[in-house]
Amino acid sequence: MNLNSMRASFGKTLTKLAETNNDIYVVDADLKSALELNEFAQKFPKRFIECGVAESNAAGIAAGLAKSGKTVFLTSFSCFSPAINWNVIKQSICYNLANVKIVGSHSGLMSTTLGATHQMLEDIALMRSLPEMEVFSPVDSIETEKIVKVLSRSRHPAYLRLVRTTTPDIFDPKISFTIGKSQVLKKGKDITVVGHGPILYQAFQSQAKLNLDKPYISLEIINCSSIKPLDVETILKSVKKTGRLICIEDHQQNGGLGEMVASLILSNNIKCKFIHLAVKDSFGRSAKTYEKLYDYYGIGVNDLILAAKKIIK
Amino acid sequence: MPNVNLSKIARQCRLDLVDMLYQSGGGHLGGPLSSMDILTTLYFGKIFDFKKDHFILSAGHLAAGLYSVLANAEFFDKKELKNFTSFNSFLQGHVSTKTPGVEYSSGSLGQGLSFAAGLALGDSSKSVVCLTTDGEHQEGQIWEAAMFASKYKLGNLINIVDYNNFQIDGSTNDIMPLDNLASKYVQFGWTVTTVDGHDFNKLTKILKDSKKSNYPNCIIAKTILGKGISFIEKDFHYHDIKNMTPEFYLKAKTKL
Repeated sequence: MNLNSMRASFGKTLTKLAETNNDIYVVDADLKSALELNEFAQKFPKRFIECGVAESNAAGIAAGLAKSGKTVFLTSFSCFSPAINWNVIKQSICYNLANVKIVGSHSGLMSTTLGATHQMLEDIALMRSLPEMEVFSPVDSIETEKIVKVLSRSRHPAYLRLVRTTTPDIFDPKISFTIGKSQVLKKGKDITVVGHGPILYQAFQSQAKLNLDKPYISLEIINCSSIKPLDVETILKSVKKTGRLICIEDHQQNGGLGEMVASLILSNNIKCKFIHLAVKDSFGRSAKTYEKLYDYYGIGVNDLILAAKKIIK
Repeated sequence: MPNVNLSKIARQCRLDLVDMLYQSGGGHLGGPLSSMDILTTLYFGKIFDFKKDHFILSAGHLAAGLYSVLANAEFFDKKELKNFTSFNSFLQGHVSTKTPGVEYSSGSLGQGLSFAAGLALGDSSKSVVCLTTDGEHQEGQIWEAAMFASKYKLGNLINIVDYNNFQIDGSTNDIMPLDNLASKYVQFGWTVTTVDGHDFNKLTKILKDSKKSNYPNCIIAKTILGKGISFIEKDFHYHDIKNMTPEFYLKAKTKL
């Protein structure tokens, strides 16, 4: 399995796009190296706007630039943007319909050693609650590239969630990304597993272990990288078939994808068992690997296997 | 020599503002009155063309004043003013782009200067005028924007501060003193001018001068809260008015 960086994929893709699209601007808050934007800044100094560690102003600058006709990527860690500047995003970007793409890196427990302040577990909740905001959480570096290309052509406010560590590439390069569409990464018959971001790789690891049992439990794995708008049709179709749903995400349970799909299923009167694996109302903490943290917070591979065995009964 | 024309227009805008608040039930009053001469100079002083140049109202609660000026500048029919804050009206309680002529929706203070700076950077051949208030300068984002505008030498950016010495709960000096705002802006690298915010000739001259600057411009306009309605002037309780009585309405009209 190839390990690659979503951040490197983002920086490289955006720099390439900016070569032919002169309207692409980056508004940064002193994290250009972390977002792999050094090359962008060197090649396009007039289109790389450095705001310093002032994320509220950066969001406002991005909105104003967007209103002058630019496609603006606002870059920082998600624990600062959208965490510090949420109300600027609400008023200056969403309410004013500014063409700004908020790129928040270092989301979730994958920030490992940095600890609670830099493990942003609330960004989906913050962003999905805003009118006019679209929310995307790519599964790997391949999908990151595809989403960035789509976003560079859209005129809508959007949030793109990235992580710190390198992660396994699992997205089929031949498949295109479409806003509002999920991909069934693996077909299955017993349990629907939905999630977003690199944590979904664990569903494949779980399936590999479940395969050793006879008879084995078969998971249908759905990548909900387009969190908002959500692909209601694909999720409902799968859940109607399996009658069992596990949502796994590297995010707080409160306000995450799991609440969205639970609400969706209840609203559609579908009979379905449901388990939500997410961080349960707690702060993160430092560790050397994210696997260690995933086990500690109950969202690791073993937790997913246990959940599968429980829900199948 | 007093600028009779602008003064006459400002008086009409104030009368329309009072009509509007009386007919619609109420709204912000003190600030719209203190900033009315500034807005009148901006829209009728033949200095800017806001079909090309940009005006950003950062202090969104001054909406009623701007609506009155925009109606007088024929951006929309004056008859709409009486529908201020009604369900089907484009005249929202805080300024909104739903209204013809409005470029930025606001209401949460301290954000407009950043937006204006971003616009000034992206549309560098046009002037971008932002109207803020003194109380609003307690928001930290204003100072982030002030640093930014200085770094990027946004000479086409003008921040007019409606400095009326009051905010919703009392005097700015009591709540959070700004001390010497002019020297703060100077320290941040801006060109700063202080002016009587009710003197049309001086406002016109300074705005004309500010268009030619190499640095961002801050115009501190010293104003009087509630200007024009003498019995409410400098009284922070008239930051806004709910259910304007016929007595208040008639008395206010005679003062104007």
